[in-house]
Amino acid sequence: MKKAANNKIQSIVRACRIILRMIEADPNTRHSQKMYYRMLLQYYTRLRDARENGQFIAAHTVFFPAEILLAMDIIPMHTETTTWMTSLFTGECGDILAAGARLGMATEICAPHRGMAGAFASGALPRPDVMVWSNMVCDNTAKSGELVMDICGCPGFFIDRPFKDSGLEKTYMAGEIRDMIAFLEDKSGKKMDYDRLSTIVERMDRQIELTRQVNELRKNVPTPFSPLGFLELLTIDYLFPGQPESIEYLETLKAELEEMVKQKKGAIPKERFRLMTLFIPPMYLMSFLEKLSVESGAVSVIEPFFTFWGEGRLDASRPVEAVVEKAYMIPETRMYGPLGESALEAIKKCAREWKVDGAVYYADVGCRHSCATIKLFKDALAEVDVPVLTIDCDVVDQTVTSEEEVRDKMERFFELLEDR
Amino acid sequence: MYDHQNKHNSQPRYTPLKTLEVFKAVNRSFPHTDEINHIHDQGGKVFGWLCTYVPEEILHAAGILPVRITGYDRETDLDDGNAYLYMNNCSFSRSCLQMGLTKEYAFLDGVVGGSTCDGARRLFDLWRQYIGTPFHHVLTVPRKYTENAHSLYLAEVEMFKTHLEDHLEIKITDEELMGSIELYNQTRSLLRELYNHRKKPNPPISGSEVMEVLDACFRMPKESFNHHLKKLLQELDGSQNAYSGRARLMLSGSVLANPDFISSIEQQGGLVVADELCTSTRYWGDMVEVQPGEPPLKALARRYLNNYPCARMFPSEERFRRIIETAREFKVDGVISEIIRYCVPYSHDLPLLTKRLADINIPVLSIDLEYGSSGSGQIATRVQAFLEMIEAKK
Repeated sequence: MKKAANNKIQSIVRACRIILRMIEADPNTRHSQKMYYRMLLQYYTRLRDARENGQFIAAHTVFFPAEILLAMDIIPMHTETTTWMTSLFTGECGDILAAGARLGMATEICAPHRGMAGAFASGALPRPDVMVWSNMVCDNTAKSGELVMDICGCPGFFIDRPFKDSGLEKTYMAGEIRDMIAFLEDKSGKKMDYDRLSTIVERMDRQIELTRQVNELRKNVPTPFSPLGFLELLTIDYLFPGQPESIEYLETLKAELEEMVKQKKGAIPKERFRLMTLFIPPMYLMSFLEKLSVESGAVSVIEPFFTFWGEGRLDASRPVEAVVEKAYMIPETRMYGPLGESALEAIKKCAREWKVDGAVYYADVGCRHSCATIKLFKDALAEVDVPVLTIDCDVVDQTVTSEEEVRDKMERFFELLEDR
Repeated sequence: MYDHQNKHNSQPRYTPLKTLEVFKAVNRSFPHTDEINHIHDQGGKVFGWLCTYVPEEILHAAGILPVRITGYDRETDLDDGNAYLYMNNCSFSRSCLQMGLTKEYAFLDGVVGGSTCDGARRLFDLWRQYIGTPFHHVLTVPRKYTENAHSLYLAEVEMFKTHLEDHLEIKITDEELMGSIELYNQTRSLLRELYNHRKKPNPPISGSEVMEVLDACFRMPKESFNHHLKKLLQELDGSQNAYSGRARLMLSGSVLANPDFISSIEQQGGLVVADELCTSTRYWGDMVEVQPGEPPLKALARRYLNNYPCARMFPSEERFRRIIETAREFKVDGVISEIIRYCVPYSHDLPLLTKRLADINIPVLSIDLEYGSSGSGQIATRVQAFLEMIEAKK
């Protein structure tokens, strides 16, 4: 498996190793960033070798409660992130998107999901033992599991996360999680270790708290965290929820940022524009965007739907209920339920408290539920005098936009901000 | 009628169905129909609903006229809809919102939606934010059929009823609910009779004509709809009309309300005899069956969750099973899957549905289109090729 020419996991492992070698040799790189890449390398190496090591692999979609899998000693394979990482590290997802198209998947379907199906169909990802997924946070996640089951010939379980947040709905979701645990026990032959789950939940609570503290530090002017560093926060929640590595990473990052604040040092030489990022930038443009940020003095200081966690704590004494609670606290799930005043207020609060000059909305053409909020969010941000730049793009598909187009739009936006 | 001799846009030889004109008149004037205007002018309440998972009977039992919010029945500029919902939401949502923003639905006293798909829930969000209808309610609709899912949905339906009662300052009694269930079940039985005509080798009514009936069904008070549908059925019983075609076809997929699209298929010689759409069988497919001693709300909730499923439901095999059952019942030779661009649930299902239908030797033609489309030259060419392929297989 790991020697297959088109093995995306192996490609990610190789790219991670190269990056790690480079940044470890660089004395200016944050220690936490080195830790982050080590974590990525660890995640994908473990996944790459899982089959040979006789481990049970569960493929899962974004926001799926991977805490359950980790508590059962099951190897998780975060499918969308793997597609993103393929784009980020190899700069190219065309082959797996084409394989998705050959399955009959329409181009309107979210590219990470098309890529994921294509990757399984073409053998670019290891065959999972089970597919587990949920409807968090869109129709694409809700609908992607059954095709993977069909392609891989594996059983699957779908968790139905209700739309609203009443007690009844949370009880329903807890029932779903319990049914899924029974399914996993049956298919894997492993028993759920509830003590271990409690420990993971306890750490997840700490992880959320640390993320909040990191965000507090980002309020400083100049902000101490790198322009697109928020993707690290996002990824560790996706891949390492409630894991000791996440706590260690966040504590290190927090200490680094505290030190920078003490020294009144910003993440970039000259901070000019404090940005709010809405949705995810194209992965294949990340190096370019980092460079542009430094050149322009533009830095993302807050991401209401990615790093700005909802209020609340996780109760480790009721771990299943805590996993449900987390499903309602995840920043992006604020976009899943009815989009009322509270979601709009959260954006305005972020804009005010993080002293945001402008917002950049990465309008992913495959993401219907997010793009349909652009007008709502623009109007909400206009109330606090924050202009919004919308960039049509795709998180992994390179055919939608180009570096030149993004540069042009960004530069015009920065001119507009400067004029203000 | 749509035989080889007549296929190239010639006038079909048949006697026009008089009652159909009533339905066509409603559809032409919607949303400003005489009945809606009259009810509104008399101070009656008219509510719009956005998805087939909203139990209409509750609105009816509250003395409200429920009408389905649909978009333009043609392709048209959706500038406001595009600006508010963005281009990558389905044109059904954008078309509905456009009509809302341009005050076409200003008469509505309330809007009820369900958490059914991304397009529907965002349409509801934007409607609530920008259109200003006085009452809004969105139901959580589980995606499963489990016992827990049924309990949750029943609770949601109960909450909806309570919200409505509080808003209108009324009580909806079980007797009123039973009366509405009976009326709506009558509609379903009558539509079943209409569809039985379509099972005939030479049906007396075309697919596009049936679409006119279905559109009117969610735009008229059920009392008058049932009255006219009974008359239409009597007409059909005595009708000499007998449609034939090169192949018996079933339509499957996204919301569709434009009869001209079906006409465009029929003009190529396709005989559209069955459908699996939320404006057709997925709307009226199953009866509400109230068990002795059972609260009517429970029976309603059960029916709406178990009804002929939308692609949003899990497992999808249940939808595939029902499609195969319908295809066999109506002896179809091929399925035309019509999917509105950016209608993700149906797009995801298509590869698996195509496989399942191939297993029983039913080919699928997949067409992407915009809501309101009346067909195009390209679609006509593809339908022709599909019909030729089916004929070659026979």
